[in-house]
Amino acid sequence: MGKNSKDKRDMYYRKAKEQGFRARSAFKLLQLNDDFHFLDDPNLKRVVDLCAAPGSWSQVLSQKLFDGKTAEEIKDRKIVAVDLQPMSPINHVTTLQADITHPKTLKRILDLFGNEKADFVCSDGAPDVTGLHDLDEYVQQQLIMSALQLTACILKKGGIFVAKIFRGRDIDMLYSQLGYLFDKVVCAKPKSSRGTSLEAFIVCIGYNPPSDWVSTLDVNSSVEEFFSGCHMSKLSIHDKLPSWQEDERTIAKFMSCGNLESFDSDATY
Amino acid sequence: MKELAHYGPSLCVKFFKDFVVAGYGPFVQIYDYHNGKLLNKCRVFRKNKVHGLSINESGQLLAYGARSVTIVKFDHLITQVSLVDNEKMTTEWITSGEFNYRGDQVYLLTCYNKVFVCDLTGEILSRKTLQGERSILYSGSIKEFSPEKVYISAGTVMGGVLIWDLFLETKLYNLVGHEGSIFYATISDNGRYITSCSDDRSIKLWNLQTGEELCTGWGHTARIWNLKFFNNDTQLISVSEDNTCRVWDILQDEGNGNTSLTLSQIYEVHLIKNVWGVDIQEKDMVAVTSGNDGRLKLTKIQDTKTMNAQEVSFSLEDISTHSVIKFSKGEIIKGFQKFEFGLIAITSLGKIIQYFECDNLWKLLLVSENLVSYSVTHGIMEHNIVTFSNNKSDALLLKLSQDGRDIIAKKFMHLDELSKTNNCLVTKFDATTLMLTLESPNPRDKFICLQFDLETLSLKKKFAFAKPENFASSCLEVFENYILVGSRFSSIAIFDTLNIEHPAYMIRRISAGDTTTNIKFVETKGHTHLFSVTNRDGFYNFVALSYQNQTHQIIHSNNIVKGFLEGAYFNDNGEYITYGFKSNLFYIYNETNCYEIASQVCGGGHRQWKLTTLPDGGYMLVYIKAARLYMRKIPQSLFPQTLEEGMHGREIRDITILKDKRYHDDGFIFCTASEDTTIKVCHFNESTGKVTNHWTERKHVSGLQRCKFINGKYMISSSAREELFLWEINDDYKLHPFITIRQTLPASSDNPDLRIMDFDAIFLEHSDNFIISTVYSDSSVKLWYYNTDENKFHLLVKGRYQTCCILNTALIIFHDKLYLLIATTTGYLVTYDVTDHIPFGINETKNKLIDNKLETCCVDLPASSLSLRVHQSGIKAIDVFKDEHNDSFKIYSCGDDNAMAITLFKFDEMKRELNNTIVSSEPNSAASTVTSCNVFDNGRKLLSTSVDQVVKVWDVSNNHLTLQEEKYTTIADTGASDTVSGRDDSTLFLIGGIGFSVWKTD
Ligand SMILES: C[S@@+](CC[C@H](N)C(=O)[O-])C[C@H]1O[C@@H](n2cnc3c(N)ncnc32)[C@H](O)[C@@H]1O
Repeated sequence: MGKNSKDKRDMYYRKAKEQGFRARSAFKLLQLNDDFHFLDDPNLKRVVDLCAAPGSWSQVLSQKLFDGKTAEEIKDRKIVAVDLQPMSPINHVTTLQADITHPKTLKRILDLFGNEKADFVCSDGAPDVTGLHDLDEYVQQQLIMSALQLTACILKKGGIFVAKIFRGRDIDMLYSQLGYLFDKVVCAKPKSSRGTSLEAFIVCIGYNPPSDWVSTLDVNSSVEEFFSGCHMSKLSIHDKLPSWQEDERTIAKFMSCGNLESFDSDATY
Repeated sequence: MKELAHYGPSLCVKFFKDFVVAGYGPFVQIYDYHNGKLLNKCRVFRKNKVHGLSINESGQLLAYGARSVTIVKFDHLITQVSLVDNEKMTTEWITSGEFNYRGDQVYLLTCYNKVFVCDLTGEILSRKTLQGERSILYSGSIKEFSPEKVYISAGTVMGGVLIWDLFLETKLYNLVGHEGSIFYATISDNGRYITSCSDDRSIKLWNLQTGEELCTGWGHTARIWNLKFFNNDTQLISVSEDNTCRVWDILQDEGNGNTSLTLSQIYEVHLIKNVWGVDIQEKDMVAVTSGNDGRLKLTKIQDTKTMNAQEVSFSLEDISTHSVIKFSKGEIIKGFQKFEFGLIAITSLGKIIQYFECDNLWKLLLVSENLVSYSVTHGIMEHNIVTFSNNKSDALLLKLSQDGRDIIAKKFMHLDELSKTNNCLVTKFDATTLMLTLESPNPRDKFICLQFDLETLSLKKKFAFAKPENFASSCLEVFENYILVGSRFSSIAIFDTLNIEHPAYMIRRISAGDTTTNIKFVETKGHTHLFSVTNRDGFYNFVALSYQNQTHQIIHSNNIVKGFLEGAYFNDNGEYITYGFKSNLFYIYNETNCYEIASQVCGGGHRQWKLTTLPDGGYMLVYIKAARLYMRKIPQSLFPQTLEEGMHGREIRDITILKDKRYHDDGFIFCTASEDTTIKVCHFNESTGKVTNHWTERKHVSGLQRCKFINGKYMISSSAREELFLWEINDDYKLHPFITIRQTLPASSDNPDLRIMDFDAIFLEHSDNFIISTVYSDSSVKLWYYNTDENKFHLLVKGRYQTCCILNTALIIFHDKLYLLIATTTGYLVTYDVTDHIPFGINETKNKLIDNKLETCCVDLPASSLSLRVHQSGIKAIDVFKDEHNDSFKIYSCGDDNAMAITLFKFDEMKRELNNTIVSSEPNSAASTVTSCNVFDNGRKLLSTSVDQVVKVWDVSNNHLTLQEEKYTTIADTGASDTVSGRDDSTLFLIGGIGFSVWKTD
């Protein structure tokens, strides 16, 4: 988060420039892939890149899915990228300028996919930081919940969801919630993500929602309402505001990502 | 363990009757704003911070923050320490909350644009929303016009403000025009306007009747967080990330009907960055603001009318039209002196004129031929004495009656021994006399000091001192029998009136080199006298002078934020007050607590001016601007300036306690190193946890990494740009501890990003000499020797680990060897044996080095002897503990990988080498990065802090991490801690992050 003058001097910033990526973030996805290999799966066909501007993740996705592939291979491949900010075009990527927390946006993405399911959903979303720590963390988690709402509507069973998180006060609450929807949840920190920042990524493998839960998208219901019924939140409001209760929390396994040659983003070169 | 005190961001603040009610972390704190007293601190939430407050007339208070909400009686709030049992939850973040007009219901607006209408017990009466507009909001507000008409203003992230009718659930407008997120929007009481502020640094005013944009207010230099209408909806007050609070006038052009927003006042209210909350008490026209620095600031809002009434100004023409005095063409005011009755001024034609404040009248006192064209004016206000001198070695002294109407004594002097005079200074010498100094531009002439009787003005004594070289007097202070004269080139001459023959004792080049502007005696300790010395270049220094021994020492040095420094003094609360000029302003600043007391636009320095303290505690600033004489009264504030002083505006990165001795017998001195580039020197009371600020050191130019007391005298701090400073602390004086830089570590490059991440030191026996290891963000490792007498760092060892950043280092004496340990961003603990690389012997029992009097030289870092991966990624902190019997030492470490570990180092007697193993590790010791760990209780316990805001105490007595106690902390970005033994076997913890807290074990 944040525009830091440090970015300019960063090794990854220089590398991104050299390799034609629009942002240094590309290396974060690449390094996550170094350990999880989700982009190396030949069956990976349809992906959604949320909060995608300026588009370096989309560039990586486009390369992985389309570069050097035969016409046969790329037949039903599709990448949809969404952001609040406008994005200049990228080959094989359909872009959409919209707010992912707005229920109508999810509807529009679903429409773009028709009846097809996606194999992979990622979100590198980061709201404008206000400096109010708890609000920033909450908004970040809401971005993830919006991404997750879409994921629940579009991801195939067994699919993968990757999203940026900030490991603040309530991150264990989020881990616990994700546990209801995926077989495995890992907190991964690519070497290109600064050790001094709280940034990390959740890699959620094996989409597997509770069998008794049907997800239905309604533009007037909230994220909370959407997920009610999938046991994620203990808190439900009927006719009275409930008393305070501690949320369920679990700690996800931590993993450092990127191969040995990766640069250390905290080092001065 | 329990928290004794907590300082941190305050997100909201309100006036209620004679109280200020502030959300302070999870607490609501209530103050009497007339005297600044904290009346009560009541915890209302378990974990969440209070983001907003609403109070109704019948004494009910609604507090909300994150997903928590509570409705409590103000009476309970003011008497109880905790009301957390009343805390209620919602499923979504609460953006705003208000009571209805009758006070029997509340409206709660959530960040998904939904409103709960509840009764006071939390029973939900209805839920309202705006169909199809449920995207996330950063801000919003609720306005009830009548029980049936309630409007919601909702600020979206896309830059639109949605105005909707709560009960009809219909949209009135989506106001577009801002760029970026909306951080606040509110509707005026009269129903005419909506105002909004945004990421784009502007304020917009909209017409509630039509939805059209009326005007935009520009002025803030960063994001704007909050807004409030006042003065019958004709003015706005705003607060911003630029740490100012601004007042805007809503002006209606009668002619074309256009509305405009005009910036009328700017107040710097908080330290670096965010001001979150603002309210205004119109009865007293005082604003209260709350910020990220934890400060609660009261600011008197000046209206132009009172401002004008507090200033009078005259040109000579004005004076002649209001009196019978006639002035010639080209005649100007040359000098002035303020008195209780008014003022005395002198013109370029030697006319001495008098101003009587009570009847706003001017009178000619006398005309002196001798004082034509050149004159210097001074005086002693409390004795109604005014003095004049010219460049022909004349001095004229006048004493006036109490009311200023009559001259009761007069003295004229000519000094034959001076060929010419170019400066004159005056000060009270003792209870009955004053001292007047005269100086000639001729270096061979003596420096003349004349002592006059305060009643009769008769000359008591004349002193003629030999003038030191390069001397040009600029300010004067007397102390006992000494005359201290400040001079150009940042120097001071001290003359002894009991020993005239003795050459002046000179203190030269105290700081870089501008004029000494002010000298003030502070206190005496034994034979040493402490003086505060200011320099025009912005530096202030404290000089400890022992005239008897003819020695002096600078024990404190610092510089003001910006501008010219003209003087400083300690007020009655022991706070250091500085004043001077910055750009076109004259300022008065509370340096101890870092806030501006007053400022006045006067055109900047380089003019005639005088600041006088008035008997009521206010000030009078007299100055000349464009040939006009201005008398600006700066009244003493009727309220305290702050209710809570606050600390840093940004994260505290490190904390270090001076553990050797107690300060004032009730606590300890400590320093905090912050991201905001400053180091604060404070002390805390060990029973209450109360923190007192002493100094804010501004020597670093980049955000700090570390600060650490390495013994009872030295503290070291480090940061980016390869900055590392060695500070010396002095706590011998009553008023404050003092601190100054002794030496700076030599830098090897000018790469601004090269950070010194950590350091550790070990002392030589019987001295203050030490060696210090430093580790860098470019993987460099260095070892230095510091010699106190030479005051110099010598490089002993240099090398590089790999390419990664090194985060921590420790120096350990073990089995007659010296080990240098580093911890890296890749999770490794690496050990180097540097025993043979240093020119010192080892005294293991004392844990010190022995000076073998060998030459120092620089060698390369040897290959590492041990390397062990203890963490998956960055090791955030380490602490070392050596066993009593010396058969092992342990490194406690914590990291970015949520883990903590104990690594045991042993010496293998057979192989004669060191080995290490991880004896305990806890991969999920926190939900997020573990940022600091400190071993305490003689190696039996370990304190840890982590970004998930949990403070933990581990039992480590049997080399195993066993969680003993954990508690939530309200300090976000928890990242620094230190411990010290308190009384009754307790241990005190200081914990820092965005905020600061003091804890105590049971
Ligand atoms: C770190 S950037 C993403 C970088 C991107 N992955 C890349 O590689 O170029 C975060 C993005 O999140 C977007 N964002 C934040 N909130 C959003 C929202 N509510 N809806 C859509 N995008 C959002 C921001 O506009 C920003 O472009």
